[in-house]
Amino acid sequence: MNHVETTTKITKETKNRIRVDFERTPLMERLKAKFVNTFFFKKVLVYLFKFLFLLGISYVILFPFYSKIASSFMSPSDFVDVTVRLIPKQPTLGTYKAIIADNGYGMAFLNTLLLSGACAILQTFVCCVVGYGFAKFRFKGNGLLFLLVIFTMVVPHSTIQLSMFMKFRYFDIFKIGEVGGLFNLLGGGIFEWINILPDTSISLLNTMWPLIIMSATGLAFKNGLYIFMLRQFFKGVPDELEESAYLDGSGVFRTFFQIILPLSVPMLITVFMFAFSWQWTDNFYSEVFYTIGGPTLMPDIIKVPKSLDTKYAGENMYVAAIRNTCGILILLPLLILYSFMQRYIIQGIERSGITG
Amino acid sequence: MSAKVKNNDLFASTGRKKKRGASLDVRKARAGWWFVMPFILGFLLLYLPIIYDSIKYSFHDIRMLTGGGFKLDWVGFENYSNALFVDPNFVQKLGEGVTQLILDIPAIVIFSLFVAILLNGKIAGRAAFRAIFFIPVLLTTGLIAEIDASNTLANYMGDSEGIDTGSGESQVAEIVSVMDIELLFRDMMIGTELVKYVAELVNNIFNIINRSGVQMLIFLSGLQSISPAIYESCSIDGASGWETFWKITLPMVSPMILVNAVYTVIDSFTSSSNTVMKYIESQSPTAYGDPITSAMSWMYFLIVILMIAAVAGLVGAFVFYQRKD
Repeated sequence: MNHVETTTKITKETKNRIRVDFERTPLMERLKAKFVNTFFFKKVLVYLFKFLFLLGISYVILFPFYSKIASSFMSPSDFVDVTVRLIPKQPTLGTYKAIIADNGYGMAFLNTLLLSGACAILQTFVCCVVGYGFAKFRFKGNGLLFLLVIFTMVVPHSTIQLSMFMKFRYFDIFKIGEVGGLFNLLGGGIFEWINILPDTSISLLNTMWPLIIMSATGLAFKNGLYIFMLRQFFKGVPDELEESAYLDGSGVFRTFFQIILPLSVPMLITVFMFAFSWQWTDNFYSEVFYTIGGPTLMPDIIKVPKSLDTKYAGENMYVAAIRNTCGILILLPLLILYSFMQRYIIQGIERSGITG
Repeated sequence: MSAKVKNNDLFASTGRKKKRGASLDVRKARAGWWFVMPFILGFLLLYLPIIYDSIKYSFHDIRMLTGGGFKLDWVGFENYSNALFVDPNFVQKLGEGVTQLILDIPAIVIFSLFVAILLNGKIAGRAAFRAIFFIPVLLTTGLIAEIDASNTLANYMGDSEGIDTGSGESQVAEIVSVMDIELLFRDMMIGTELVKYVAELVNNIFNIINRSGVQMLIFLSGLQSISPAIYESCSIDGASGWETFWKITLPMVSPMILVNAVYTVIDSFTSSSNTVMKYIESQSPTAYGDPITSAMSWMYFLIVILMIAAVAGLVGAFVFYQRKD
């Protein structure tokens, strides 16, 4: 009846604490059983492989950045020095100073910030609204309209480049071809078949309007993708949330602004980040809509500053390095923004839960 | 924009009191129209005319008049026949672009799925890796890609040790040489074509990473949506990681594979770094395009549509949809 395990022995006993020693398998044996087997080896190997693979890819991604940053600090003599490869021997800030002073970096920065900021906010909001409409409402033509969104994604830039330029060069609403057009009608020429009179339309080139108009209608760069991403995100939001809001007497729009928008902030930040950085480094639209004499934008600063003398043996590399320095200056604000937003972007990805 | 939507809000709430008869479904459908209205307006008033104009221009010759304004001359299919039969390079570039794409789709989709699975699992420094992997898709676009391209050009022009952009197009940046791999695979009877393909993929790894950012994102969110309970029951039943991947992960993310394959086609066809796009842009004498580029890119667009249909049909046959109800 009172069988006591012989293997345990009480080593120490105080008022409210007892230390009991079991006769266990020795530590070495236990460790051996745990770590010296094929299962554990396999696990370690797979883990190591994964880690090294990710590390390697990260190196491939980051090395060009490092190489560019290093070369941006090199002085002209470093480029002809064979021993200099990745670490500048005579570091200098001259390249940066020259670019900021000569190429109008400050102006380009402000203009691009204004343009990208306005476009990105508009695009995020519009795509969010449209995506929500596609995700949560069953109306006739929902599928067809969404197909049209995909269509705007598929048409290559260069296909509509010319007509986009023409559209905003001779801007007029309600006009198809040369027929109709609000300003055209108001201007007196009811049916101008062949020639478009220059005074009955407005040129929107070199202003922010083309991009603002396109952003406001969800047609700007990759907006189809944003609409798609947000649609998938909203599909993952449970319907019960809205139903309970409707039951409490909230309207559709109020539900959207007060319930849906706040909970989709991480996803909105993800889309905003995409929209902002793609607009920031955009060269397609700025080439089409901003001709000579327009505001200084980021593409305009990529050139060799006047004060730098590039005529010497290492010219090719020096010019390449200067261009890369321009690139770094363009990317710097984005990198700072990304480091702040990165957390939310990961969150946005984790919550989006795309299902087919 | 927001003021307009708020107006609609007011309108909707007053309208509801009057028409008490309209059912919730009808009212919701009406609200849905308001939500997608910005896109509909933009599509009808802006995009459709642009598309129409673009098709029209491709059948015309355009002349800028000195007094401002422009004049169109009808030339019929001349732009098209010029592109197809007179231009010596266009058809060849088109073929090159399509072959390149067919080779790239599987590489990009498999790579992004692989990385997404790694980034989804437990690993040290996962947050840092994730942050790093999304750098290229956000930052190496547009202008920066243009600068990188000119770097590669500078490398070609003679300086043996240029700035490494990692694009793998320069001799210096080559990670593995085809020769080494051929030596490795000589006795394995695989065939030199495959060896060359793999070697090119490894050397173009930067390119592939660059182009698989969005796909990774889509796969990651897809993997997140798979219930952990499925994996748990699998491991209890004694399935290995390999089996779990083929029997659970792959079927569950197969809708995303379809999405990504289609997106890859769209993205690489419309990106300006594409061979055909580069060629089309180089044919235009002005920054804003030319009728001949419109004609070329409409033909190109038809091929894109065909490719998308083919890919969607092919991948769509293997997609597994989980029944929700």
